[in-house]
Amino acid sequence: MDAQALHEPDLALHVEDLTVSYHGKPVLWDVDVDVPPGVMAAVVGPNGAGKSTLIKSVLGLVKPTAGHMRLFGRPYAEARREVGYVPQRSAVDWDFPTTALDVVTMGRYGHLGWLRRPGRRERERALAALDRVGMADFADRQISQLSGGQQQRVFLARALVQDARVYFLDEPMAGVDAPTERAIVRILKDLRDAGRTLVVVHHDLQTVRDYFDWLVILNVRVVAQGPVEEVYTTDNLRRAYGGQIALIERAAFEPAPAAPVASTTAEG
Amino acid sequence: MLELLGDHTVQNVILGAVFLGITAGVLGSFAVLRQQSLLGDTLAHAALPGVCLGFIIAGGRELGPILAGALFTAVAAALLVLALTRLSRLKTDAALGIALSFTFAVGVVLLTYIQGTPDASQGGLDSFLFGQAAATLRSDLWIMGGIMLASLALVGAFWKELKLVTFDPLFAGAIGLPVVLLDVVLTAMIALAVVIGLQMVGVVLMASMVIAPAVAARQWVKRLEHMVILAAAVGVAAGLAGALVSALGRNLATGPLIVLAASAIVVVSILVAPGRGLLWEEAKRWRERRSLRGRQVLATLYELAAHHRDPRFPTEAGALDAYHGLETGAVLARLERQGLVRRASHMPDEGLHWTLTDRGHAEARRVLADVGGEAA
Repeated sequence: MDAQALHEPDLALHVEDLTVSYHGKPVLWDVDVDVPPGVMAAVVGPNGAGKSTLIKSVLGLVKPTAGHMRLFGRPYAEARREVGYVPQRSAVDWDFPTTALDVVTMGRYGHLGWLRRPGRRERERALAALDRVGMADFADRQISQLSGGQQQRVFLARALVQDARVYFLDEPMAGVDAPTERAIVRILKDLRDAGRTLVVVHHDLQTVRDYFDWLVILNVRVVAQGPVEEVYTTDNLRRAYGGQIALIERAAFEPAPAAPVASTTAEG
Repeated sequence: MLELLGDHTVQNVILGAVFLGITAGVLGSFAVLRQQSLLGDTLAHAALPGVCLGFIIAGGRELGPILAGALFTAVAAALLVLALTRLSRLKTDAALGIALSFTFAVGVVLLTYIQGTPDASQGGLDSFLFGQAAATLRSDLWIMGGIMLASLALVGAFWKELKLVTFDPLFAGAIGLPVVLLDVVLTAMIALAVVIGLQMVGVVLMASMVIAPAVAARQWVKRLEHMVILAAAVGVAAGLAGALVSALGRNLATGPLIVLAASAIVVVSILVAPGRGLLWEEAKRWRERRSLRGRQVLATLYELAAHHRDPRFPTEAGALDAYHGLETGAVLARLERQGLVRRASHMPDEGLHWTLTDRGHAEARRVLADVGGEAA
């Protein structure tokens, strides 16, 4: 690897001057985001803030108007095999005729390349990932018969078999039951403790402090970013959410509950 | 029958129907799962101007140039739809509708133009509207078979890529698959599936040969592999049934017959397929309702017995009917067969009475505990 080609290699994710627009209207405007390795970062912001678009731009799914992105110093096309992705659950038709195991196996397609078919090794990895998310008994279940939480676990298992250094997850906790949310958070924290980096679009401000150690507050532009304890302030959230803050304020700015209680609910 | 199979026309029809059914079933599966059924309809209608252009250029009714023309205009229509939805703010259904009617109008104008020229004698081009199985020639079969083999090879070689891009295009894009290119390939394959059926089914109804076998197959399967194979089988069955009736009857249009056969299979599949069929679901609902009613009656008997402090309290059938607002006779008879209640006589001048058995008491307590558990 040519050392000169690396740009900001010490950052897991480096986004600079990113602007994305649909039909001439900016969705993201002049966004700079830096995420260091080994953190679990939340991306929060009101509806239409461009949270999903940020992830999709990094993954090359949306063509930016301006700006560049790097993962450990390299453009996405070169870093692809070190990236895991969990799209929004609603992005696919769950009535598609396939099994949970088959969906998880798709996480290896990028490593397999063209024309090669998944074999026993891929199958074993997929089964291990299903086991890790607590879905081993559902391997041969048709995906249309899974509950929302189970579908989300399958998606997470698919990202796990990607065996990535950086994971991007788009609302992995949206519409799942409490046990599933706890299971997902436990797995994400394990990944982080193993040195992986996670960038998670998150919708629930109340759990940000319990789950995450890094925070990016977005509303078309970046409102604030950094360690959660520095960035999670009334002032920053009010700047991002504007009038909606009245709704969140009461719940989110109660004096933080005693830490042990909060973390047992989160991980119990 | 043997004599029939020896007939060249019938042989051609059978082979043509097999080629058509397999191609349309396999490629149609992807179209249906990508929710592009209407695209199939638009592409089919858009093939008509191409049929006419092919005829004009070749100067006669030769299948090669005609299918090439059909493929060309079908793909052009697909690009038109793509351009309309990408560049304007038109929604996909409107773009499909516009492309369908525009291209079909062009096709009909060209068709009537050709019929007005001296070449029209060898024409019979209007058979491409509703298909004519008996007109299938041995040379046509080579073309149809070639298209079938090419599309099967394509699907086989890029199976996992096509599956992923159909199921989850975002993830496919993220791992580096060329989603737009695969989109184009899949759309072109729908166009191919349409083109292969022009001779037998015709442009007007060809879309249902793409859609119906896939929809029917979807009802019965759990995996894409099985869906594709079953859709091909359904396509072959429908194609054979329709084409043979048409070839033997001579006067009936092939396309509509094939489509009728395919539709019959769809109706049966939608009704009876295990797990997904309507009858299946209705039966499940009915069983649930029945068992719910049984539990309700059991709970009533239990509560009345408790109220009267008599575990063997006989409740009159009429009182149960009134309480539940419906005939409970059938429900009680079933509970009796399960050994949960038994008949009891109380006063000679009153009607039938029912009383709980020991097992009935246990079951009723279980039912009430379940309800209580939910409430708490």
